[in-house]
Amino acid sequence: MKTSGMLPSSLITAHGPIRLPAYVPVTTFGDKYPLDDLVRPYLPRLAHAAMVSFHYAKQMRERPSLPLLVDSGGFASLFQNAVVRKIGGLGVLETTTDGKKETLHPRDVLDFQEQHADVAFTLDFPVPPAMSNREGRRRLSLTVANARWAIENRRRKDMLLFACVQGWDVDSYATCAKAYSKLTFDGIAIGGLVPRVRDFPQVLRIIEAVRAAVPDKPLHVFGLGKPGIVEVLFKNGVQSVDSSSYVKLAADGRFWGQTSLHLPDASPTERLHLALCNLAVAAQRTLPLSASHLVFGSQWWDRMVPAASAGG
Amino acid sequence: MQTPTRIDLNPPQQQVVERGLLTSGFNCIIQMPTGAGKTWLAEQAILATLRNDQRAVYLTPLRALANELVDKWKRLFDGFEVGVFTGEYGQHQAYPVPFDRARLLVMTPERLDACTRHWRSHWGWLPEVGLLVVDELHLLGDPGRGPRLEGAILRARRLNPFLQLLGLSATLGNRGELAEWLAGVHFVSDWRPIPVAWRCTRYQRATDKPRILHEEVDRCIAAGGQSLVFVQSRRRAEALASGLAKLGLAAGHHHAGLDSNERTRLEQEFRSGHLRVLVSTGTLEMGLNLPARQVVLYDLQTFDGSDFVPLSTNTVWQRAGRAGRRGLDTQGEVVLLAPSWDRTADQYARGQFDRVLSGLSDQAALSEQLLADVSSGLARTRSQLKRAFQMSLAAHQHRLPPVDQTINEMVAAGMMIESNEEGSRNTVVLKATRLGRIAVRQMLAPSTVVSLAKAFRSSPDGAEPVLTFLDILLICGQTKDCEPLIPVDFEELEDLSSKLAREYSTLLSGDHSAVTARFHVSGRRLLAVIKTALVARQWTRSGDPDGTAETFGCYAFEVRRLAESFERLLTAASSVVSPTKDNNRDSDDEYLRALLDEGPPLHERMKALTSMVANGLDEQTVTLTFVSGLGPKLASRLRDAGITDIEALALAEPDELGKLRGVSRCRAVRWIEEAAALIQRRSALAFREVGTKARSSTAAWPVEVNQYRLRRALDLNVRQQGEGFEVSGGLEPHRVRLEVGKLGCDCGDFAKGETCKHLLAVRLNQQDPILARLVKRLQSAACSRELDLHRLWFEGKQ
Repeated sequence: MKTSGMLPSSLITAHGPIRLPAYVPVTTFGDKYPLDDLVRPYLPRLAHAAMVSFHYAKQMRERPSLPLLVDSGGFASLFQNAVVRKIGGLGVLETTTDGKKETLHPRDVLDFQEQHADVAFTLDFPVPPAMSNREGRRRLSLTVANARWAIENRRRKDMLLFACVQGWDVDSYATCAKAYSKLTFDGIAIGGLVPRVRDFPQVLRIIEAVRAAVPDKPLHVFGLGKPGIVEVLFKNGVQSVDSSSYVKLAADGRFWGQTSLHLPDASPTERLHLALCNLAVAAQRTLPLSASHLVFGSQWWDRMVPAASAGG
Repeated sequence: MQTPTRIDLNPPQQQVVERGLLTSGFNCIIQMPTGAGKTWLAEQAILATLRNDQRAVYLTPLRALANELVDKWKRLFDGFEVGVFTGEYGQHQAYPVPFDRARLLVMTPERLDACTRHWRSHWGWLPEVGLLVVDELHLLGDPGRGPRLEGAILRARRLNPFLQLLGLSATLGNRGELAEWLAGVHFVSDWRPIPVAWRCTRYQRATDKPRILHEEVDRCIAAGGQSLVFVQSRRRAEALASGLAKLGLAAGHHHAGLDSNERTRLEQEFRSGHLRVLVSTGTLEMGLNLPARQVVLYDLQTFDGSDFVPLSTNTVWQRAGRAGRRGLDTQGEVVLLAPSWDRTADQYARGQFDRVLSGLSDQAALSEQLLADVSSGLARTRSQLKRAFQMSLAAHQHRLPPVDQTINEMVAAGMMIESNEEGSRNTVVLKATRLGRIAVRQMLAPSTVVSLAKAFRSSPDGAEPVLTFLDILLICGQTKDCEPLIPVDFEELEDLSSKLAREYSTLLSGDHSAVTARFHVSGRRLLAVIKTALVARQWTRSGDPDGTAETFGCYAFEVRRLAESFERLLTAASSVVSPTKDNNRDSDDEYLRALLDEGPPLHERMKALTSMVANGLDEQTVTLTFVSGLGPKLASRLRDAGITDIEALALAEPDELGKLRGVSRCRAVRWIEEAAALIQRRSALAFREVGTKARSSTAAWPVEVNQYRLRRALDLNVRQQGEGFEVSGGLEPHRVRLEVGKLGCDCGDFAKGETCKHLLAVRLNQQDPILARLVKRLQSAACSRELDLHRLWFEGKQ
């Protein structure tokens, strides 16, 4: 798979460079995932950037000291209480919780990102495999409309803006990507691949098609972060990925090297250690010697038991 | 900061640098003698960490040393903010350089313990620490401070897995074992900048010692050197120094009781050479830099709080480490003064240091650390706790007490609760109770909080004796966290009794048995608790640490440290008794009734006492501080101007008040109004003490045998040795032998013609019937209608 020689070796952001290829850990703010609070200060030691979703980023009280990627939260359009509406030619996400209606407009997303993000992703709407083609096309056109709007309305020069690509098959993804080929985005991001990952050759074909449509911009893939898969993606024209699996597994007491086992009743700091080991494995970074007791200490191995559901 | 060239490094420093031990990333333990340049190595490691954009933490057990180092390092690490965090723990203090800003944090082990217990408040800097330097690593073996150091290290490593540890010490008997525990590397060198010769000078009688000292010191000074003499007590330091001065030597004495100006002056005079001899207690051994050509260990014993015990090899070497000044002496000299019959002093020179044994092997210490882990949210179940403490040094040494049992005891004592977790899982979780959280917050042993709770919580029937301020201090003083305890000498008992007679106390009233039953300490410890409480009470009356110290024969710094200690205990006690939100209506009514009838409820008096102790204010002046915005300093000023309590304030004239410094008329008006409103609720008189005075006695004694010496004799231990006896347990061991058909002793008392206590001890040991009868007479308390202080003294060390 050839990529254009014009691709940069790092993304230059206001908070420092992000060396490519980059493995970007996902983090959250607020009370929902306390393990993230423990892990977050250590992310700069193992990664060049962190990804956070708009919904959690709003609860951010202190900005972490590494470059921040903020996605739009359009993922929520997959939830039952969500509706995608077309208002003023743009795609707006309407969610209803406890009778209260909340709308998410591309303007809301961009305003927030310009205040806090180093890399921003446009408001997109994934198309799940079971969705009808008609609805899929509608969402796709709104995704493209939102992206076009964002690039025209971006004010901050030093914030990188990535256009999001969605679809349901190779052709639809390619079409979506082609819509961005002449625009001045800083990069392209492919979403919606997580539910499709079981058909990995299909995933690679989609990536190839998108790459062909936009050969000269950095390419990010949302949500695929499993070790093993990541290397293949990087070899196939992808410059960056993000994933929360490293911490989700740790919250379960699992270690990425051995997902059939888990540590029952892991304490908060044990989960922290697991998360850091998982991230190091995924990002192919080494842990310092002082942390060797985490990996080589017999503390865990003796106590790991077969997990209820194997695999991670 | 300039990097020294190869030539400037001494051999061990060169080796450490060449082997890359500090930059390897491994935890590292370095053992080098005092003065061989450990601090420089630590500075290199710190500098590398700071340059790597990470923070560094340096632990030292002595506050004075921390402050000294910070002054030096502010200049050395120019460009990086240096913060020092020592002092009162549990208190909210505004540090000049706050935690979040400091790149290099210098603190005591207790401070790091506190930070890791409340890690959420320190989450802004803890994860950014790359290096933790632990100076005096052997402190891990100290029963009092070791567990807190170990707990701090364990929690810090769990919270920050990237932390690299650098341990430093001159005296480790088990360096390899410690390095194994930390899964790190270690280095040792016995290189000293100046070679040192060790010598034991022996004496037949204790009375020979001053003369021997004079000879040794004289010889050293005549050859152009200086001498550092270590003794076991402050009195001895003063006596010897003045003795030497009278013989024409430039001698001074140094001990912990000097204020910082006096100490600085003495140290400067010694460094400049004006002083040739410095006689000191053990304070110098910890880090302060005052080398001399000769170090004399005049006493090979030390007082450990209740008894005299031989010095450890570690302590001897820490003192001996002072011998030899770089650039001025070609050789250092260590002289040990040892009794002729005791060969054990010879082994000190071999330098076989004690094995550092984890203080967590004590169950009470483990309880405190387990509770800290649970309370801070780092462990919620038994298995999590067990796994966490498997990483301890105690566990590594197979000396960890059974965790399950320790947890059971804490649950039984009401410090922790065990319950089923909310939700579907069948997990059992541990939580700290309110009492437990108080213990963790104030850094107190669980047993202390349990003791406070038992003493202060009212019984169901509500009929409680009113506790006076002294009583509250007594209850706090008998816990193990009250320190320092001011010991009581036999000679002081009468004076103590008369001081007590002036105080109001419910607890000390009644007959001897009733009174002693109210406390869980007894004997001399109880005497010390009583005296310590009196010291604190006097402090609240005078606000003058020097005057108080003088009255009670202790040191001003002890008064200050005592005040800190009591403040912590009182804050905890206040939390224990203060009404909680989940009070039911009944206790609300009780509370109101108490307000109207009796006088301030216990917790209000406790709060008042806390402020009194923290600021040296008496019970009248403290009522002024109830007005918002009126702090202790202003209260003292008002008192000096004649406004002695809140009622006087309510009646004051705004114009007069406004004339005082720091008080504007506007403020004065506000205060007067607020005071008037407050006294509607409670009269200031309510804090005045009423009730029974503490009565005690020192009973009359027979005259046949000198009772003072006989009493002393009861404390001594007699051991047969060859043809005579060795009598120990006093200031010095002494020999009693049969000389010319009579028993003779080698002590100064006997030499003066007295029947000394050692002789009496031997006679008692040999079942002398006359003495046995006399002892029985002494011991049967003729009058036990009051607290008998002599009888407490009898009961010995408890």
